[in-house]
Amino acid sequence: RPRGPQPQGLADSLSTCKVLVVGAGGIGCELLKNLVLTGFKNIEVIDLDTIDVSNLNRQFLFQKKHVGKSKAQVAKESALQFCPSASITAYHDSITNPDYNVEFFRKFMLVMNALDNRAARNHVNRMCLAADIPLIESGSAGYLGQVTVIKKGLTECYECQPKPAQKTFPGCTIRNTPSEPIHCIVWAKYLFNQLFGEEDADQEVSPDTADPEAAWNPEDTAARAAVSEKDGDIKRVSTKVWARSTGYDPIKLFNKLFKDDIMYLLTMDKLWKKRKAPTPLDWQQLEVSPNEEAPASGLKDQKVLDVWGYCQMFQDSVETLSSQLQEKGDDAELVWDKDDPPAMDFVTAAANLRMHVFSMNMKSRFDVKSMAGNIIPAIATTNAVIAGLIVLEGLKILSGEMETCRTVFLNKCPNLRKKLLVPCVLDPPSANCYVCVSKPEVTVKLNVQKTTVLSLQDRILKERFGMVAPDVQIEDGKGTILISSEEGETEANNNKFLSDFGIRNGSRLQSDDFLQDYTLLVNVLHTEELERDVEFEVIGEAPDKAPPPQSNQEEVNSITNGNKDSAQPSTSSKGRHHLRPLTSNSAAVATGTKRKYSETGESSAKRPRTDQSDAADDEDDIVALD
Amino acid sequence: MAATKDSKEQKYDRQLRLWGDHGQEALENAHVCLINATATGTEILKNLVLPGIGAFTIVDGHIVSGEDAGNNFFLSSDSIGKNRAQAATELLQELNSDVSGNFVEESPDKLLDNDPEFFHRFTIVIGVQLPESTCLRLGMVLWSASVPFLICKAYGLIGYMRLMVQEHTVIESHPDNALEDLRLDRPFDEFKSHIKSYNLSIMDKKDHSHTPWVIIVAKYLERWLSEHDGQPPKNYKEKEAFRQIIREGILKNENGGLEDEENFEEAIKNVNTALNPTKVPTSVEDLFNSEQCNNITAQSSSFWVMLRAVKEFVYNEGSGSLPVRGSIPDMIADSQKFINLQNVYREKAMQDAAAVSKHVESLLQSVGKPPESISEKDIKLFCKNSSFLRVVRCRSLAEEYSVDSINKDEISGLDCCCFRFFSYLI
Repeated sequence: RPRGPQPQGLADSLSTCKVLVVGAGGIGCELLKNLVLTGFKNIEVIDLDTIDVSNLNRQFLFQKKHVGKSKAQVAKESALQFCPSASITAYHDSITNPDYNVEFFRKFMLVMNALDNRAARNHVNRMCLAADIPLIESGSAGYLGQVTVIKKGLTECYECQPKPAQKTFPGCTIRNTPSEPIHCIVWAKYLFNQLFGEEDADQEVSPDTADPEAAWNPEDTAARAAVSEKDGDIKRVSTKVWARSTGYDPIKLFNKLFKDDIMYLLTMDKLWKKRKAPTPLDWQQLEVSPNEEAPASGLKDQKVLDVWGYCQMFQDSVETLSSQLQEKGDDAELVWDKDDPPAMDFVTAAANLRMHVFSMNMKSRFDVKSMAGNIIPAIATTNAVIAGLIVLEGLKILSGEMETCRTVFLNKCPNLRKKLLVPCVLDPPSANCYVCVSKPEVTVKLNVQKTTVLSLQDRILKERFGMVAPDVQIEDGKGTILISSEEGETEANNNKFLSDFGIRNGSRLQSDDFLQDYTLLVNVLHTEELERDVEFEVIGEAPDKAPPPQSNQEEVNSITNGNKDSAQPSTSSKGRHHLRPLTSNSAAVATGTKRKYSETGESSAKRPRTDQSDAADDEDDIVALD
Repeated sequence: MAATKDSKEQKYDRQLRLWGDHGQEALENAHVCLINATATGTEILKNLVLPGIGAFTIVDGHIVSGEDAGNNFFLSSDSIGKNRAQAATELLQELNSDVSGNFVEESPDKLLDNDPEFFHRFTIVIGVQLPESTCLRLGMVLWSASVPFLICKAYGLIGYMRLMVQEHTVIESHPDNALEDLRLDRPFDEFKSHIKSYNLSIMDKKDHSHTPWVIIVAKYLERWLSEHDGQPPKNYKEKEAFRQIIREGILKNENGGLEDEENFEEAIKNVNTALNPTKVPTSVEDLFNSEQCNNITAQSSSFWVMLRAVKEFVYNEGSGSLPVRGSIPDMIADSQKFINLQNVYREKAMQDAAAVSKHVESLLQSVGKPPESISEKDIKLFCKNSSFLRVVRCRSLAEEYSVDSINKDEISGLDCCCFRFFSYLI
């Protein structure tokens, strides 16, 4: 076999060194191809996902016949067909599984991320820091992409820069007073789970009687009770139980959701003093007055149907989903998937009917899908470029030339220096990072009387600080164990409040993730003044602010001096889909709302980083390196 | 048929969100020719076959060598000794059954000797690792046939690419951050009377807070113009004063505090862009002045015929403005008010497109072509995109090699072409 352009020493080390590829999606497929062609012989690849039809436009190791199979496994088999001499190990598994401990990571000379979500990126970042293995991080979105290198002690880690929190919507906006299509889409996704999936108390869809804005007078209660009786008193049973009792009758469901519940909302008249009140829909009335069908051209998904069209879509999808549920057996649950047609139809129909009820303009299935699924556009070309850059950075690392590594951005158009690819010097680790410094510490503002142990674990330690299985000990001199990662040991604490354990202002909690070999000291700052729907705040981080500008841009082939690179704004194809912005200036919302990425120039500041990550649930090549 | 369309929509979902259905249509109508199925060549074709071009044809007279099998993912050791075009076609075809793969086991030079017109049929020809002489010969043939020619070379970690095309016209350029076309500074009659149909001072609270911001700005602008000799707010100070006037229009509650009127907030936020004067962008103005626009012949492509018609429209019915685009952004409003406003713009856009269509008809007639040779649908699309039209022109390879232009400009001087070549050195 011919040698590539590498010197003999490097070629030898390629054939012996072991590398790990995390993710076998858009970037992962391209990367596997590049690795085997470059002469890497020992490759392990892990991905928990299975192949979907919408992957086939770019994940070239997969074909139609592979739909539903393990990405890692099929990627391995396809790559071996082309290059039988390589040795590839595939894991159809989550990288956060404790089997992949620090020892596992230490087997590799190099780890390459080709991931799609922030949680997994955080985790691999920590594992590589703990194992002290160099990590190449990557991401892509549409025509844009980025590759960067992370090495403990030398560079910023993945979590050195604060990232914008994912925007959430107050419960009463979703349940009572939606004002934007996204509120209706979120509601419809919750409704899907309430009816067919895993019921979650945080995903209620019925009118919220505790809405502080509604502030009922006692005399209103009579009116409320009257309506309440009519709607079958569904308050006392769960939505799912009620739906089951009707045999998932689409018309009964429809009339409850879009007529009775709305009439109930109308009784909360304080809500409608300043707002336009919703208009209930009635199946029987709609049925007898069918609207004229306006046949539009273009793709079917991109048309906006009339109300009756969505009624029918609602009916059809409820019927399909309930029979799917029935086939699965008694306690079965469906999982919402944007690429599952009946599930997507259901959300499209329910969201649009609610939009109509609340006087919003309805949206096409295509648009609803983009917002509901946080879809990030993806093409083979971008992924191929990014995967190529990953290998180039990898070769530098393996040649012992870590100092020449760069973070590289792929632009949509050449910048003012006529560069499509923009390399930037890597930053040193941040002294304020709560992950890669030697003794990580954070201060969290919360109300100890209102925060439960479970929400400390799930919302703060897992979601916010990226731990997988935390153990928490109170530094109270007694070493009280608050949370144990051993199953069954501290479950009894879950619904108790922090104050029940003597935690107060100034308390220190030592949180430990054994798998990640990571300890975080949490200082508690008690407060009773948090905004509505805010559970806690992390001090010293302005999550919605961009990282401070740093002038470390490499002056490569500088043609024009002091000329700002105008970063190309993100792509939107005729307002249909809007890219999540490559910026941390704006809170990344899972909405598909149009935002531009800031015009930060390469000469004055580091290009803003991307975030979309966690928003997107199962895209494989979603960007963004932070 | 419907089923295949559905499954295509599903398969191509992630890219449709990037280039839309017209972009996809253009891709599906494309027939791409690749000369030389090298590692670079097959990589390029892979990235075109996956998103679903209509067809490709590989032209390659080489036999697959051990080196090819080693560095090309789409050639295996089994294919050593076979023709390279054929072997690569087989594997590339597997990537997407919607694409028709073809191959010609011949060198491009032979084809140029025997049948140069062979290359006319392609949407684009991509030549990889071609010797200079072949590039020049083929470049000449393709230049005169107006077929785009992309030359690529790769050596180790260095690469080069160069596009040659006389002219490439773009109707849908998918601009980022395009300004809306609202005509607040030059309201058309129908819009004027629509504005009149609103009276903010006698509305109830609900209607007041559900009036689209475009109407609010238009109302207050009318007032401003009457108080300022017909001059709109121009500088920051005046715009700020204008915003203040709008702010004062927000309803007060019983206690004298401001009501929460998001539509007014939206109006205030949009003052800056909404007051941008409506004008023909200079890039479009330049196209109006070009030779191809002013000299319409039977050979003129429909792009130029439509451009000329739009120009006629601007100088006549449009009184200096392009056809109304007809779309408005999402805004806070109740459905009925929003739809009414949308219809005002839509109907005007239809009228304008109809006027342009008349010009197209007479232009076609003047060069002896039937009026139906350009469809209404195309004219509408053209009008909608008339602010964003683009024309890309490159220098021919022959010109680049000619004595006159040698050293005239630096290697980066291909400014005429938007696809400048990029190289990335590590």
